[in-house]
Amino acid sequence: MAAASKIMSMQEAVSRFVQSGDTLSFSGFTTNRKPYAAVHEILRQGQTDFTLWGGPAGGEQDLLIGEGRVRIFINCYTANSGFSNVLRRYRAAIEQGKILFEDYSMDVVMMMFHAAALGLAFLPIRLMQGSDLVNMWGVSREVRANEPTLDNEKLVIVENPFSPGEQVVALPIPRIDCAILHVQQASPDGTCVIEGDEFGDVDMAVASRKTIVTCEEIVSNEYIRRDPTRPRIFGACVDAVVHAPYGAWPSQCYGYYDDDVDALREYDSASRYYDAEDAARVLQAEALKKGTVYDPEKQVETFVDYLEKYVYSVPDHAALLDKLGAARLIGLKNVPGLGYAASVE
Amino acid sequence: MKDIELLNYTKQEMQAYAIAKLIQEDQIVIVGTGLPLIGGSLASRVVQPSCHLIVESGLMDCNPIEVPRSVADNRFMAHCTVQWPNVRFVGLEINEYLHGQRRMIAFIGGAQIDPYGNVNSTCIGDYHHPKTRFTGSGGANGIATYCNTILMMQHQKRRFIEKVDYVTSPGWVDGPGGRERAGLPGDVGPQAVVTDLGIMKFNDETKKMYLAYYYPYSSPEIVQENTGFEIDVSSAVEMDGPSDEVIRVIRDEIDPLQIFIKPKTRK
Repeated sequence: MAAASKIMSMQEAVSRFVQSGDTLSFSGFTTNRKPYAAVHEILRQGQTDFTLWGGPAGGEQDLLIGEGRVRIFINCYTANSGFSNVLRRYRAAIEQGKILFEDYSMDVVMMMFHAAALGLAFLPIRLMQGSDLVNMWGVSREVRANEPTLDNEKLVIVENPFSPGEQVVALPIPRIDCAILHVQQASPDGTCVIEGDEFGDVDMAVASRKTIVTCEEIVSNEYIRRDPTRPRIFGACVDAVVHAPYGAWPSQCYGYYDDDVDALREYDSASRYYDAEDAARVLQAEALKKGTVYDPEKQVETFVDYLEKYVYSVPDHAALLDKLGAARLIGLKNVPGLGYAASVE
Repeated sequence: MKDIELLNYTKQEMQAYAIAKLIQEDQIVIVGTGLPLIGGSLASRVVQPSCHLIVESGLMDCNPIEVPRSVADNRFMAHCTVQWPNVRFVGLEINEYLHGQRRMIAFIGGAQIDPYGNVNSTCIGDYHHPKTRFTGSGGANGIATYCNTILMMQHQKRRFIEKVDYVTSPGWVDGPGGRERAGLPGDVGPQAVVTDLGIMKFNDETKKMYLAYYYPYSSPEIVQENTGFEIDVSSAVEMDGPSDEVIRVIRDEIDPLQIFIKPKTRK
């Protein structure tokens, strides 16, 4: 009997499986295999109030934070490395006190995803001791008590039952409502091929209540079974399969394309300012500090402009690809045998 | 003391060379992007070819052709030996320690550092209402827990301070026995601090930072002027600058696109 197809449009996948208030996590690593196309659709549909497990977070999470869609951000590292060494809307949200946030180390967050995938009760580690990652809580015990998506404790110091006297850090297990992954290939039954490093993605797919997969290519259930050494995610872990070529743009997708240097640089400079009013305020202050003259006529691109250009002015991902244009996208293609776009400046 | 403008290398190139010189035979080197990667690449190509470069995203034995922009860049991923998920990297790092192996050396950068090598890469000011917020730990805390580290800083008074605003990566904590009291392995920790002005090491007895080497264009006085705490410079010696061949490898082979190493500007 043929398995039911999980293929659906991005609109349907996001509206069915992403609800306001959900706890989310995303695939990839800073500027590699980030599920931007799905994030763009969430932005268009309007879901909000997320608890977001950042992992090695990139610009896709900065978009959601900048738009005020994230209520609680579990941070370990948030950068478009080499372009925005600290992502700017994330930074502004914390500096301006607009977001609840918590910090763990990246090793620890990845181990927490892994512990969730293993179904563990809690995670005992020796990491983070002697640092403020243990001493300082981003979200206090009092606030946590009223936050259903968070455990009551950031961590608990316990004695190792197998080594009396040794103190270790016990951590709660993340409860992810929806994991959103961008992968290279998927079949209608949800089986996924990830090329290159899987990062924490397989753990997320197993641990999350629902998983949306967007992919460069949809291949048949029969084709994906021809070489069982390639698939990394069992189809039963996946709820929706969405065809989204260049769905990680402007980040990289191993074996397919490189990062879009122009777009990442554009985002770095646009995300300095939330909107025109913010830009005027910041530029005026900078001019005053430098002793130069502020020119109110000078237009700069802002975060809001960037979103309008690449997200809100287009109805869907296909329209974004048309807007970017074939030549630009083909220019990002990896050179076989080299693994990246050699023509990139 | 020589004028840096008259030398045939830049401060960044000196710093990359200093990093490479600190890497020892057969070491497994945990590199990040930026200068540690340039220094690590320089070590693996010229200064210490037996070393292995690994990154916290899980890519092992990396040998990139073009300089990567992040630790998960395709430029690493397509030119490494094994592509592991992050948790395997963490497990390797911890088991290396548990098995009594000490092959790893790791680089950590930060915004602030104290005399015991505790590093802040989280925030300036109050943690909850920071003046400036940074990325947060990334892999640095885990590395600082289990590995010997080399810390990378820009040498400025506001960065070298008595007490950091937030300890992201513990060094020698508060001195002798500090790591053990905090529940950390006591026999690994920061080995050196490499800056644009010199190489600091840590006194075996006090665990406090002292100046070990200054560069041809710096001096013990300049180092003290740019350090926000009293630093012992009494045993400091001058380190030679990079050879023409080392400069050529950095410029022509490792970073020809000048992504991290900026060219010398002629005035």
